[in-house]
Amino acid sequence: MSALGHYLEEEGLATVAISLIRPQTENTRPPRALWVPFELGRPFGPPSDPAFQRRVLLTALRLLERTDGPVLLEDFPDDDPRWQLDPNWLPPSIPGGAGEGSGEALASGLTAEVVALRGAHQRWVEQYRRTTVGVSGLEIAAAADYVAAWLRGTSPESPREGYSAPLLLRFAVDDLKAYALEAAAAGSAKPASRQLGDWLWNETATGAALHALRAALLNAEDQRLRLIAENFIVPGTRVRATG
Amino acid sequence: MTRLSDLPPAQAKRLAEIECPKFETTPFVAGPPLSQRKIAIVSSAGLFRRGSEPFRGRDTDYRVVPGDIAWEDLLTSHISVNFDRTGLQEDWNVAFPLDRMKELAAEGVIGGLAGTHYSFMGAADPVGMEPHARELAGRLKQEEVDSVLLTPV
Repeated sequence: MSALGHYLEEEGLATVAISLIRPQTENTRPPRALWVPFELGRPFGPPSDPAFQRRVLLTALRLLERTDGPVLLEDFPDDDPRWQLDPNWLPPSIPGGAGEGSGEALASGLTAEVVALRGAHQRWVEQYRRTTVGVSGLEIAAAADYVAAWLRGTSPESPREGYSAPLLLRFAVDDLKAYALEAAAAGSAKPASRQLGDWLWNETATGAALHALRAALLNAEDQRLRLIAENFIVPGTRVRATG
Repeated sequence: MTRLSDLPPAQAKRLAEIECPKFETTPFVAGPPLSQRKIAIVSSAGLFRRGSEPFRGRDTDYRVVPGDIAWEDLLTSHISVNFDRTGLQEDWNVAFPLDRMKELAAEGVIGGLAGTHYSFMGAADPVGMEPHARELAGRLKQEEVDSVLLTPV
């Protein structure tokens, strides 16, 4: 992000960047930046809070009018109010007994849970009139079937022309996570991201399946699969110690 | 789903010290008040339009996001799994503040909003991104954009 600021500014465009990682911005010294004390992933802070987002945005844009740079690096003072847990949030109902054990149990647990979450996900779509599911281009049941095939120990062919099997696996995993997290956030409660994350990674069949997929693929022969397993299935903060 | 300070120390250190080119110069372009500027959003969130080509890995090029895109048509294939996605799932404005920018333009706080916005995938190699960024600068100037909001994820 900071590098883009340098390149665009050198070409004659004025830039202002939002910074989520202050030490990185201190190192790269883009022309103007506003550091914000929010989670990675939400540079403008809380969702569904236009007034707060606007304050962040205007604070950043006002740096464009300053003449006392370079380099300008300011700090936004306020925390994201959605960082607070919402005690009223309840996770959606799922079959439970979230599969530990064999690849077959994990695979069936995953596909059954995707079916069980359908109603909650539909409520999400009606509530927000959008979904971020769709990166794989597969219907969610097909994405679950594809990941389930890997859990059963087979190496299925990619169901999508032009996309390698490992790439489509990564995209299907992204879709399954988005589907479960959106389903879990349907309703009037405003759960913090870590409430949703705790539920996904500790309570669900989807989470159990993805932990197991990661562990299994860490030893895959295909280097691309090992890379995906190491970095692109389970967040670093959620990886379980193995062995 | 985390702030940098909550990451495992090794991971936080890696992110903080991520390799970036060292720049000898510090360009700084002056300009008129916000009310006379035309601004585009350039995101590094790995955004692409549903049905178009996603970022497949550490692609160094960029995707076009039309200013009239429906939220339903916006997706991300950013490679990282270490940032919160629940915020942008509920409201894309937390990472790509298109509604907020439209409001500022309608109120005259900014002079104008570009008709087209752009996204890179922020985990790509900055050196590889450079030619694409310079080409994008030409495109932005053709669209009479003078200022850019750079938003990470």
